[in-house]
Amino acid sequence: MDSILLLIKEGEFEDAELDDYSFSCYSQLEVDGTQHLLTCAFDDPDVNSTNLEFEICGALLNVKCLTFDKLQEMYFIKTKKFLLIGDSEIHVKLGGKNITSKKLNIVEIVKPEAPFDIRVIYRKGANDFLVTFNTSHSQKKYVKELMHEVAYRQEKNENDWMHVNLSSTKLTLLQRKLQPDAMYEIKVRSIPNANYFQGFWSEWSPTFHFRTPEITGRMDPVLLTISILSFFSVALMVILACALWKKRIKPIVWPSLPDHKKTLEQLCKKPKKNLNVSFNPESFLDCQIHKVDGIQARDEAESFLQDTSSQLDESEKRRLGGGMQGPTWPSEHAAITPKAFREDLPFGCLAGSISMCEALVQSSSRSPDCREGGKNGPHVYQGLLLGPGTTNSTVPTPSPFQSGILTLSPTAQGQPVLTSLGSSQEEAYVTMSSFYQNQ
Amino acid sequence: MFHVSFRYIFGIPPLILVLLPVTSSDCDIEGKDGREYQHVLMISINDLDTMIKNRTNCPNNEPKVFKKHACDDNKEGVFLYRAARKLKQFVKVNNSEDFNLHLSRVSQGTLQLLNCTPKEDNKSVKEQRKQKSLCSLGILLQKIKTCWNKILRGSKEH
Repeated sequence: MDSILLLIKEGEFEDAELDDYSFSCYSQLEVDGTQHLLTCAFDDPDVNSTNLEFEICGALLNVKCLTFDKLQEMYFIKTKKFLLIGDSEIHVKLGGKNITSKKLNIVEIVKPEAPFDIRVIYRKGANDFLVTFNTSHSQKKYVKELMHEVAYRQEKNENDWMHVNLSSTKLTLLQRKLQPDAMYEIKVRSIPNANYFQGFWSEWSPTFHFRTPEITGRMDPVLLTISILSFFSVALMVILACALWKKRIKPIVWPSLPDHKKTLEQLCKKPKKNLNVSFNPESFLDCQIHKVDGIQARDEAESFLQDTSSQLDESEKRRLGGGMQGPTWPSEHAAITPKAFREDLPFGCLAGSISMCEALVQSSSRSPDCREGGKNGPHVYQGLLLGPGTTNSTVPTPSPFQSGILTLSPTAQGQPVLTSLGSSQEEAYVTMSSFYQNQ
Repeated sequence: MFHVSFRYIFGIPPLILVLLPVTSSDCDIEGKDGREYQHVLMISINDLDTMIKNRTNCPNNEPKVFKKHACDDNKEGVFLYRAARKLKQFVKVNNSEDFNLHLSRVSQGTLQLLNCTPKEDNKSVKEQRKQKSLCSLGILLQKIKTCWNKILRGSKEH
């Protein structure tokens, strides 16, 4: 029983020794010219490495094994004699006796050198930050292809690193992704690209600090120039508008009432060569000017006398031939006609009766405004223009006499206007010509 | 009937034994993916080329180097093995350390990637003593480079 316990204890002691002498190595190729560096160390820092030695054998040029040098607790070897093909064995020896060994490949434990010279440049035009750094491996023959990792953070945010992986030595950080007016720190490290050479991350590069610009209200110079030019353009337009308002702008925007003479002249200036346009009555001396009301009255009266019975009063004919007497003509007329036709006409014509006047007028498809007929020309004009729709009485049977009496039967569409105006037409004619004469 | 069986017993088997080496390869190549060649061997070959050109002006007519051996089909491994063995002859004391190390890397690295039978070792020893000039070395290196490229092309096609 005691012997068994002793064996167990010895086994435990041996296992403990093996565990204590576990070690790790990493290689650095072309670290010094063409020389490579292999560094090993025990995993347990408490190991008593006083008499311990490290030795590498295999995958060496022209030699079988090489012994490590020791510096404090680190074992290293600096040589050009690594074959870089195939596996090697590393032995830990104590007094020439092999304690532990480990098989490894030099090209699979490569630790690149740390990048350096990291810089951040703010590009105002692009609103971004250009991060550049350098690495010594760009000049090396073997470990040329690396993967880099850039880490940056705001200084006040600890442990809030942002990481970016890239294979080149340039990186762009967008300004909008960073806080304005803040202090940032940035660093970078590298690892072999795992094509043939593999290994571990290098040490971090020295940290670089930079401050992001604050967002100001300062405008872009181009935008500022455009704004100033626009302002001055608008101001100039306002000044010109005020200065030229009366003479040029207002006549176009708010034209004054046209000169009748000129307007009509312009309208009639269309190429009708034979058309004689003038407001001077003397230029129409060649033309036969007949008063429309007289001609119509005569013609129609004659036709009425021929067609109808002799109930017409000659005085009325004369009156009709005389045309309209004045502004009171419609009411006077209204007074006369009902009297004449009291017996004959189915509807009662009362003096001053509006409906009667309107009914009388209806045959000519014009209804005079009997009330206002004597007041002024325009009212009569309007009254004449009113159609049968304005009357509320029954539509009378138009009789030739009625149309004749009213003298409103239109020989043309526009002419009733003129005829019913009577003296007002003459006045208007005179007015226009006198206007022309005045000018 | 007796002389017929005698022919089959003593005639054909030796014939088979003689013909087998002709068809089979004596060396197996491990680095056919080209990673070791591209990242290690080719660097050393190029450095050696640069060093040779800087040191000597070789004539245009090709010296007779390694004429008896060629990188034939299915014989690439044998050729490389013999060429790698021949490179060791060019390692001299009066060369620079880097020069000798590159030579050793190409030679040893190539041999590391080949798995050849022991009989090849005896055959190539006789040819190693001639032609130790740098120009010959340059030609030999070019032949090694060409043969490696052939191997890698063949492995890509497959």
